[in-house]
Amino acid sequence: MIKNKLSPLVALVSALCTAAPAMAADMGHLRIVEKPLNLTVHLHDKKFIYNDDWPVEKEAARITGVSLTNVTIGNTPDSNEAFNLMIAGGDIPDIVGGKNVKDNINRYGPEGAFIPLQDLIKEHAPHIYAQMQARPDVFASAFAGDGNLYYVPYLTDGKYGRAYWMRTDWLDTLGLEVPENIDELYEVLTAFRNNDPNGNGKKDEVPAFFRNWEEVFRIVTFFDGRTSGSDTYHDFHVVDGKIKHGYIGDGYKTGVTHMAKWYKEGLIDPEVFTRGSRAREFLLSNDLGGFTHDWFASTAGYNDSLKDKVEGFKFEAIIPPASISGRRLEEHRRIPIKPEGWGISHSNQNPVESIKYMDFWWTEEGRRLANFGVEGELYDLIDGKAVFKPEVLASDRPINSQLTDVGAQVRRGFWQDYNYEIQWTNKFALEGIALYDRGDYLLKDTFLGVAFNEAEQKVYDKYWAGARTFMLEKQQAWVLGSSDVEADWDNYLQQLDRMGLGKVIEAMQSAYNRQYGT
Amino acid sequence: MANKRSASERVALLIRHFRREWQLYVLLAPTIIWFFLFLYKPMYGLQIAFKDYSVFRGIEGSAWVGLEHFRELFHNEQFTRAIKNTLILSGYSLVFGFPMPILLALGFNEFTRAFLKRTTQTIVYLPHFISTVIIAGIVISAFSPSVGVVNLFLVKLGFDPIYFLTKPEWFRPIFIGTGIWQEAGFSSIVFLAAIAGVNPSLYESAVVDGANRWQMMWRITIPSILPTIIIMLIIRIGNILEIGFELIILLYQPSTYQTSDVISTFIYRQGLQSAQYDLAAAAGFFNAVVAFVLVLTANTISKRVSRTSLW
Amino acid sequence: MISNMNLYSRGDKFFAVASTVLVCIFTLSTLYPFLYIAAVSFSSGFAVTAGQVTLTPVDVTLAAYERVLADPMFWNSYKNTFIYTFVGTAVSLLIIIPGAYALSRPQLLGRRYWNFIVAFTMWFNAGMIPFFLNMRDMGLLDSYFGIIIGFACNAFNIILLRNFFEGIPASFEEAARMDGANEFQVLWKVFVPLSKPAIATITLFCIVARWNGFFWAMVLLQDKDKLPLQVYLRRIIVELTDDEEFVSSTLTALYSFETVSAAIMVCSIIPILMIYPFIQKYFNKGIMLGGVKE
Repeated sequence: MIKNKLSPLVALVSALCTAAPAMAADMGHLRIVEKPLNLTVHLHDKKFIYNDDWPVEKEAARITGVSLTNVTIGNTPDSNEAFNLMIAGGDIPDIVGGKNVKDNINRYGPEGAFIPLQDLIKEHAPHIYAQMQARPDVFASAFAGDGNLYYVPYLTDGKYGRAYWMRTDWLDTLGLEVPENIDELYEVLTAFRNNDPNGNGKKDEVPAFFRNWEEVFRIVTFFDGRTSGSDTYHDFHVVDGKIKHGYIGDGYKTGVTHMAKWYKEGLIDPEVFTRGSRAREFLLSNDLGGFTHDWFASTAGYNDSLKDKVEGFKFEAIIPPASISGRRLEEHRRIPIKPEGWGISHSNQNPVESIKYMDFWWTEEGRRLANFGVEGELYDLIDGKAVFKPEVLASDRPINSQLTDVGAQVRRGFWQDYNYEIQWTNKFALEGIALYDRGDYLLKDTFLGVAFNEAEQKVYDKYWAGARTFMLEKQQAWVLGSSDVEADWDNYLQQLDRMGLGKVIEAMQSAYNRQYGT
Repeated sequence: MANKRSASERVALLIRHFRREWQLYVLLAPTIIWFFLFLYKPMYGLQIAFKDYSVFRGIEGSAWVGLEHFRELFHNEQFTRAIKNTLILSGYSLVFGFPMPILLALGFNEFTRAFLKRTTQTIVYLPHFISTVIIAGIVISAFSPSVGVVNLFLVKLGFDPIYFLTKPEWFRPIFIGTGIWQEAGFSSIVFLAAIAGVNPSLYESAVVDGANRWQMMWRITIPSILPTIIIMLIIRIGNILEIGFELIILLYQPSTYQTSDVISTFIYRQGLQSAQYDLAAAAGFFNAVVAFVLVLTANTISKRVSRTSLW
Repeated sequence: MISNMNLYSRGDKFFAVASTVLVCIFTLSTLYPFLYIAAVSFSSGFAVTAGQVTLTPVDVTLAAYERVLADPMFWNSYKNTFIYTFVGTAVSLLIIIPGAYALSRPQLLGRRYWNFIVAFTMWFNAGMIPFFLNMRDMGLLDSYFGIIIGFACNAFNIILLRNFFEGIPASFEEAARMDGANEFQVLWKVFVPLSKPAIATITLFCIVARWNGFFWAMVLLQDKDKLPLQVYLRRIIVELTDDEEFVSSTLTALYSFETVSAAIMVCSIIPILMIYPFIQKYFNKGIMLGGVKE
């Protein structure tokens, strides 16, 4: 029905495409079809849906001859809801993508809603295929439980995400050094708490604070524990090919014991569980917060924005303090592959052209278009490198928003170029990144998730939510001091076993072995 | 008398009835047609509670699994805890929350100054229009251990500050209190309307008999609005397993799950990985059946005792 | 009318004062959230994110309002909300009032069953996807008409009004019946005038539900030009929420998503506040008075 409604529009768009100026001669090799081809697309992200008017989309249509018409359902910000309504409606557009489509496409692909892509890619998409060959581990995580690849993923670039940050001007005020290990960190935080670094005569400092309360548990990594292996909180992690969960490890128990002590002594924000997303603004701009674990780009920005508001303000990245065993670990990193991208539906009449179109975004020209927009609009090509125009960098509107406004950096299946971001990363962040680069503290084996078969999925669905809930209940109770880790621990492990955590890990292990071939 | 009539006599009676009362059925028709088109027609979707539902296969194409989803729910300790929490939270808000709008309406009725009456009535219904996110934000900051008014007050009185929102024992009072605060004013409108409908001649004769305001409230106002109160109560009882999901999500913490985790939040977390419509439908079905039994009981009792009923 | 003043004896004074004080305390506390969002809407983005706003605006600025009022989509969605609210409420009343009347009449054949059919829907509903597919099959997606008709009725309002109609003594309609009035006339000339408080209540409920409703509008509408205010509000909030990862613009900008959404909320609450007095006047009169024959 939606398709019927749109057909006049489709005709119009195709007419416009033919009317467009002839393509530049050197782009000729990127032409996919002689006669313009129009495909329908569902591409949903929280902040936007696909837009036929995006300059990036128009440019791609001009170059390739393939244009997309948006038929994304709903004005809802929930991508899952939009996806489910689209599938339930029965008319699946030719191309489907967007935020968090992995689970959905891999669920309905094996049921026949989407077509397997690996053979099509091998035959018709040389650029994607080259990446698959170069990074088999990364692509392995995109395959569904039935061994097929149903979507072309969005690969990120750049590895640094969060870092540890400290008010180094407070350290200077109190005559302290940057903490090198966990004991020194404890001493510094205690000094922040007791020695009035903000100098207002009140004991109002909040030594360690976190925007997401889940981040507070990173402290267990200083006690050789783990909290997650991916960029999802409370996730599993892999050690030597074995699936494990941080919350049943020994380091975790020691870590939480210490956290309870820190919390009691006021070293951790007493309101850490309810302060919420504005914690950082509030505590930094009121000269109260001393230490956190947060993103490079956004946290470094406070050095500029609070320069005139808080005297002497300096919030710098510090290298991860060494753990009790001397390990220095930054557990958070950007994952190389997002559960995002796009797939081809079973009703698509032009699968070969579609995969060629998807491959276009992985060519040099296509990749630049997907990352920086249309040449001459937001960026200029200088010595073969895309450089943002000064007015783009100086604008009030965040650069990533300016990019999505024109259709760049949206969640189609493409390969990000970190150069797009480095140009507007401020100097504090760059210094921090250099610092982390030198020591190579970043987590090595990221856990990219597994694709379950049906039996494994059942086990996971049945037990995981319950076990997770129980673990979270306990961890908060322990830190808040309403229950004692030491006394609870054995019972806790037994209870988790009864709740099926062991079965979940087994299921994950068998999926992992199948997928990554260990 | 009537039960001895033959079939043809009954048909004749029916025809006569429709001939005389057809206008009534014309008035009724739009309502009934609307209910069938918009609410009953899609109800075939309820069957997904008994199916392994896949959005792609559709409702017809999904395989039957019988009571599998119900079995899964009831074998989960956290679900039974959620039922318990739902009942307790609902029970308390029934006991404390249900009378509040009635008291407010009665209170407004005692106001003698029209201006005061009008202004206060307008103000109390304001929170209903403010998004739950903001209401929750206000509650969180009011109960904050460092800057919250409640704790500042406690400290002034010489007590230690309490981190209310992480204490399971405080969740219920805070949640119920917030609910009353947000909705009592708006809910009082029904009762205000009912009070406005009371025949003023009743009050006039009471004045003649020398009754005071207190007596008039008990002897005239309350009995007159009793049918409204009963209807509202029956409806409220039917919703005993439904709890404002949004407010709970915003106010709860893992550390308070033991008192705050209710059926809807449980389903929400259970479906973390995917939209588990079938499981949610099973829980919804269970809710509806419980509601139904409760309402049937309440309705029967009410019909016997007060002749007021939902149907 | 009776004068309230002479109803007061000395003992009543205490009762009156006590209830006034209690109601006033409650009222003042409910005023706070509105004052708070009003204060936020007039403050700078920085002051709000730094947690400096509690009751009065800080760094007073109209930036948030400028941002909102300059957006044509805001005005368009405002217009749409008025359409959905007023046309929708009118359609609702056209269905609900006759339906409730018919359901209240003792001579209606199978009255219990009809009432049951209505009440049953309070607990059993189809769920999101079947409702969506049903709307789609009827061709009601992405249209004003779909939003207006699809949510025209609900069991609660019908039962409320039916219940009020049932409470009207038979003596009131006898005169009309003697004059040979038919059902339409009895409803229009006797029941409707006598039920003003109840009709005012369900009118208010319909208006408020329409005014606040967003979920189905979000799901069923495709065209941006048809969105109501509440959906627009949600879009703005999502759009302005800063990315976890990247530099937030809120610290330097004059407005933030908090101040802008507060400004939209203030703009959306004010009209509905202005409607209330018109409804309210029906709660303050002795409605029955005119109908009683001495």
